[in-house]
Amino acid sequence: MSKRIPSLLPISVLAVTISLALSGCLQKEVQDKKITINKNPYPSTYIPVPQQDLLIKNATVLTGTGERLDNADVLVKNGKIVQVGTSLSTENVTVIDATGKWITPGIIDVHSHLGVYPSPSVESHQDGNEMTSPVTANVWVEHSVWPQDPGFQTARAGGITTLQILPGSGNLIGGRGVTLRNVPSVSVQGMKFPDAPYGMKMACGENPKRVYGSRKELPSTRMGNMAGYRAAWVDATEYKAAWEKYEANYAQGKNPAAPKRDLALDTLKSVLDGETLIHNHCYKADEMTQMIDLGKEFNYHSGTFHHGIEAYKIADKLAENGNCAAMWPDWWGFKMEAYDMIHENVAIVDAVKNSCAVVHSDSGTTIQRLNQEAGKIMYRANENGFSLKEEDAIKWITFNAAKSLGIDDQTGSLTSGKKADIVVWNKNPFSVYAHAEQVFVDGGKVYDKFDESYQAKSDFLLGQPTTTSAEQN
Amino acid sequence: MKLMKTRKLFTSSLIALAFASITSVANAESLAIINATVHTVTEQGVLTNATVIIDDGKITAINPVVVSADKIIDANGRILTPGLIGTMNQLGLVEVNAVSKSRDASEKKADITFDTSLAYNPRSTVIAYTRKGGITSNIVTPFGGEDMFRGQTFVVDLSGSFDSVLANQSAVVVDFGAKSKGSRATALQKFIHKLEDAQLKLTKNKEKEANKKSQKKEKDKSKDNDKKEPKRDEKVINELLAGTKPLIAYADRATDLLALIKIKERFKLNLIIVGAGDAIVVKEQLAKAKIPVIINAMSNLPSSFDTLHASLDNAARLTAAGIKVILSVDDAHNLYQLRFSAGNAVANGLSKEDALASITANVADVFGLDVGRIAVGKNADLVLWSADPFELSSHVDKMWIAGQEHSTKSRHDALRKRYMTESKMPKAYVK
Repeated sequence: MSKRIPSLLPISVLAVTISLALSGCLQKEVQDKKITINKNPYPSTYIPVPQQDLLIKNATVLTGTGERLDNADVLVKNGKIVQVGTSLSTENVTVIDATGKWITPGIIDVHSHLGVYPSPSVESHQDGNEMTSPVTANVWVEHSVWPQDPGFQTARAGGITTLQILPGSGNLIGGRGVTLRNVPSVSVQGMKFPDAPYGMKMACGENPKRVYGSRKELPSTRMGNMAGYRAAWVDATEYKAAWEKYEANYAQGKNPAAPKRDLALDTLKSVLDGETLIHNHCYKADEMTQMIDLGKEFNYHSGTFHHGIEAYKIADKLAENGNCAAMWPDWWGFKMEAYDMIHENVAIVDAVKNSCAVVHSDSGTTIQRLNQEAGKIMYRANENGFSLKEEDAIKWITFNAAKSLGIDDQTGSLTSGKKADIVVWNKNPFSVYAHAEQVFVDGGKVYDKFDESYQAKSDFLLGQPTTTSAEQN
Repeated sequence: MKLMKTRKLFTSSLIALAFASITSVANAESLAIINATVHTVTEQGVLTNATVIIDDGKITAINPVVVSADKIIDANGRILTPGLIGTMNQLGLVEVNAVSKSRDASEKKADITFDTSLAYNPRSTVIAYTRKGGITSNIVTPFGGEDMFRGQTFVVDLSGSFDSVLANQSAVVVDFGAKSKGSRATALQKFIHKLEDAQLKLTKNKEKEANKKSQKKEKDKSKDNDKKEPKRDEKVINELLAGTKPLIAYADRATDLLALIKIKERFKLNLIIVGAGDAIVVKEQLAKAKIPVIINAMSNLPSSFDTLHASLDNAARLTAAGIKVILSVDDAHNLYQLRFSAGNAVANGLSKEDALASITANVADVFGLDVGRIAVGKNADLVLWSADPFELSSHVDKMWIAGQEHSTKSRHDALRKRYMTESKMPKAYVK
């Protein structure tokens, strides 16, 4: 009974409260300090390795914008691409003769777990999947990244200059991803791609429903998955409205109370604000279609679909809605949702106007050879009616990947003014025999196949008993 | 090794017809492949503009003076290799890894006798898909369960026919090395004890036999039970001791490899080591002990403290040390990529000849298969390639298993066709 008493308060009391509030407004209330959320509390401290001004000459150049230039030169100054063309000349630069070699933009992997599932793969290194609740938008994968993962070095030897580290797919919403420059550092901050937008990992299908279903928790079905995302977006929508109201009232000179801060909702709100991009583990055509509508329901863009095994079934829809699809060339059969793989998936998605087809790895092994992964697709597609060329296939692992990560204005192609992220290959990079010989990030050489002084080594491997060169011979 | 089938072409082709995997039905026809660049994987090396004659499932002639065959295929200089051979995967024992009822490679209570050939499904879609990689036969390997012994391998061809199991119980598979519970010492110790006990029993039985002979005329006393048949698992250990059955041991760290070398020498086992992450550290010892190694050419991450020496050039360096190397892809769905693994091994220092041998002749030698080389008398498992078989850009033009031509078409092609076909009706009507 006593609980009801407040609702029986006389109307006059309420009226007094309202009139007080109104008069306070008119009298210019004393405002508390405005509460703002620091959107970048773990800022990048990345600085390039010593940069060189370079003229790389006489190579076959794949620009990443769909062009191929033969016997072409690439001019780099102050860490940027200055010009790509034939017979360039300039003074005071290091000249690299690349006759017979191929040059591409630095390779970008949009889906990696390096650093969060690092080598060695021991118990204490399992840091990629916060499977304690189906929605963990509050976790940031950068807080798990171990920069000493030797996999960063092997990926660099494969030409990887930029990569997005994502949380795992055990949760409906797994947390924030982070985009890194592939340079050695003792902190993840030292690797963070300056000003790259954040990504947020979502996961469709079998993984979340298996993880939580086995605990008799929601979700245990695909409809449970959808209910879980929707509930999260309902909360996020309210949270966003609460902050907007707070800001509007404050702007009007009022002294409103700020909403209670919520880390998970901060991340979801930043998606609704268009600042954080969605990266959605989602295999099947039907589920991708649901996720597109989910984005429309809550007014955000559904972003990039990762592992889109069935993307070829909805290639038109993906292009129409502006979704990137990140895919493997041939992985399949490990789950029911990975059963309908076809080798030409990427090519079919790519063939539609305004598409964004990306080849990703999700693997410490294949990240070392994304060039080969793209090559397999190009050749299989060409056996089945396509006429794709090297200058097309390179986009899947450079420009389109940059687009997926929201950094295509900075990297992903050899375009004047962009970052000098460059790979020099010994031959056509879509050959099984191709090697990255030199790799540059922001015009700084981070890898040289023939010069040990440009081959970084993880602290972990340093000083381990090893075969010596004497033993090897 | 128990022989299940002696490649009776007639029966196999009749059954295989049901899968539509066979494009050429007239199996009685002899075939001449002319103008081929033949990678024999023998001392003959590579033969250019060569002719290979196939009859009754066998290679019957190479470069005969007169070419006489029912059917002639002009290779136009293209490369002909032996069919590639997979190892250490669960092809035919799994359709979809996460679908428990489509998996037959594991069994909690599996022991040394575990024979998964009984579960082999030649109609798995993974098999047709794997033919795209030019794989014609495979050593199927069980996962096992809690025991150190995973069970026994069996040998199949990739015809997809119901009698494609060529031999079952072909080798024993055992796990050594790092353990998440307990010590790695236990498995080694248990194994040594098993071998010692079996050896002792065999010696005792021999002595008893000898005694019986000398006491022939004495009346046999009550202990007639001496003649007890050994148990099934004991028989398998006895086969290992007799060297009639190979032992495939998973091990990586150098100490484990050295322990296995000792065991091999002491008990005269026919030993093959898989994984062999640290092989490079003890390569002289492995070469001296003549132990073949089965490795994944793409392993180069220090995924555990047992594999700090994983490297892309290990295949080349172990081969250079005189070790017989087999390259393996241990995941059934990715087995088709075996040729790309070989290509990457070449990119990292292995010769093309050695790389081809590592996925053909070396496997045949280690597992006693009558394939893996292009030589007169060998089974006609052959692949005609559009170009360099290790390159991403090449594909299988034609392939023969036991002389029978097989298609590389799989369910994946049907899906591609459906979604690349324009239709006013929903795609479900496109078949």
